[in-house]
Amino acid sequence: MASKKLRRVGLSPELCDRLSRHRIVTCQDFLCLSPLELMKVTGLSYRGVHELLCMVSKACAPQMKTAYAMKTQRCAALSPAFLPTSLPALDEALRGGVACGSLTEITGPPGCGKTQFCIMMSILATLPTDMGGLEGAVVYIDTESAFSAERLIEIAESRFPRYFNTEEKLLLTSSKVHLYRELSCDEVMQRIESLEEDIISKGVKLVIIDSVASVVRKEFDTQLQGNMKERNKFLAREASLLKYVAEEFSIPVILTNQITTHLSGALTSQADLVSPADDLSLSEGSSGSSCVTAALGNTWSHNVNTRLILRYLDSKRRQILIAKSPVAPFASFVYTIKDEGLVLAQQRPQ
Amino acid sequence: MQRDLASFPLSPAVRVKLVTAGFQTAEELLEVKPSELSKEVGISKEEALETLQIIRRECPTNKPRYAGTSESGKKCTALELLEQEHTQSFIITFCSAVDNILGGGIPLMKTTEICGAPGVGKTQLCMQLAVDVQIPECFGGVAGEAVFIDTEGSFMVDRVVELATACIQHLHLIAGTHMEEEQKALEEFTLENILSHIYYFRCCDYTELLAQVYLLPDFLSEHSKVRLVIVDGIAFPFRHDLDDLSLRTRLLNGLAQQMISLANNHRLASGHGERERQRERSSFAIGSPPQWPLRLAHRTDPKPGARCFSWSPMWVQGPSTWAILHCTPWPQQRAGLEEGQPGQNPPP
Repeated sequence: MASKKLRRVGLSPELCDRLSRHRIVTCQDFLCLSPLELMKVTGLSYRGVHELLCMVSKACAPQMKTAYAMKTQRCAALSPAFLPTSLPALDEALRGGVACGSLTEITGPPGCGKTQFCIMMSILATLPTDMGGLEGAVVYIDTESAFSAERLIEIAESRFPRYFNTEEKLLLTSSKVHLYRELSCDEVMQRIESLEEDIISKGVKLVIIDSVASVVRKEFDTQLQGNMKERNKFLAREASLLKYVAEEFSIPVILTNQITTHLSGALTSQADLVSPADDLSLSEGSSGSSCVTAALGNTWSHNVNTRLILRYLDSKRRQILIAKSPVAPFASFVYTIKDEGLVLAQQRPQ
Repeated sequence: MQRDLASFPLSPAVRVKLVTAGFQTAEELLEVKPSELSKEVGISKEEALETLQIIRRECPTNKPRYAGTSESGKKCTALELLEQEHTQSFIITFCSAVDNILGGGIPLMKTTEICGAPGVGKTQLCMQLAVDVQIPECFGGVAGEAVFIDTEGSFMVDRVVELATACIQHLHLIAGTHMEEEQKALEEFTLENILSHIYYFRCCDYTELLAQVYLLPDFLSEHSKVRLVIVDGIAFPFRHDLDDLSLRTRLLNGLAQQMISLANNHRLASGHGERERQRERSSFAIGSPPQWPLRLAHRTDPKPGARCFSWSPMWVQGPSTWAILHCTPWPQQRAGLEEGQPGQNPPP
């Protein structure tokens, strides 16, 4: 809407020509100027400029919806509002599962199960709606080359043995997962920009990016001056494109992130090789100790709507925490990784 | 009426012609008739008439200097202002700690800024306020409607349904033993009504936000019961896409001015959720303190990971109180609202 050309708004052609001589072509250019500048450029009086502003604003302002209309739309909507994760306690806490129309982030130390979770979710999205799926295709953008098709088949067979009893169904599911290997920031951005067309043509119901952090951390060294700003700009653009896609098509978007260590003294360094033992030894509470948080900084943390954090408890068990969610309180669940993917331990959530 | 012609909102072409013809001040123009003006200056009769109307509107010659009516709102004594502040209503949150700190609740006719770390509860507070503004007057509310401008996409209808349901139950509990007036008011306070009176706009970038704020005065005139405008969050659209920092400052200041004038003219409160900047603890993305009478500053506590917010209302005498919103990182996740000790100076 911001790039709407003024010609289509309904201004007179002479006025449009006059404005384009001053390089004001789109609504965005028009609204960025103050009324005084507009008076100088258009030659109109204050009231005339005010009327023009109202006309241009009406052309790009969003439509009003009441909260009640949104609620009835959601209830009547044919597509579900959540994608259940098939982990019952987690779904209950999240009021249904991974929310459609918003960004969900999974973050955690290496080897904790983020890619396993993503593979599991891609199977769930292809299942028919009576089994809790979205019955659609999946776009899987893989930046670490961690996706394994064999593991996909293994999880599918072990988790839903009654459904995947024929070879055909397995092939159908695996043909619905569209894998894209992008290894640089530019490629990832291009892929995201062309997502809309893929979604419409292939009937995509879930977008997964695994992982957001690896390309960004590779290319933007935050010690160098100016790179932090560039990185944040890139991430903000990525987030706003993904949010637009998620809301427009009402599909869930799952992103994975890495972790970073905050050393005391506020120097952040990248924790590349954090083995389980190191993770457990991080103490809680004493000042001066380091603490582990999600990577990519505060700006990125604001951009995602839901954040799930994975971490190790001991050599076998791990924990999933709901760290940020607009509908769920803080909660944690213990899980292990088996043949069929993630399995919650049978105990009450803390 | 010696006011210079350049200070009037005339179109530049007309102004240039007037100056060339020798007119310097408003007084000289007011003596002339439209047809004479058009002949002398060389502009059309309609333009001459419009010019004279603008001048006349801006310089009333016969009206008394002292504006006794309250509609002008720009001139009044401090006593009148004090009376106004005493009768001022607040939007209560039903969280007594928060209401006490704010001196009653979120004040009308002022802008309030809410800032904080990600995940700490800004959007939750905004959604709660959108419900609380609709509380009927017999319970202490303002019985108004709310406009919610969302730039981040974090508004969840399901959560608002939960909040509204809880509020209705709470009011039923209060009214259970009381008179009929409350019971009658509660009949109107249903889930459907609450949701229908939250007007939601989703702005995807700063152009749409600017456009929406320009159109707000007209919207508010049509929906005169709106008492709260929420912009969640004001920083998000300006943090990417905009390389020109001076343009950004100018646009944000313009937005701030428009918000203040909206708040005053339509007697409403406007609240902005804003994200904290990582490095800049005491400065906000907007920048100039006097426009925000109520500030929630961020201060890092010695305890790792805890955040706290200070409310330092400028019209309350005495030490400022701190409210602490805990958000510790794992393993112990808990969230609670506690009151801290008073006495320390708020950060600059």
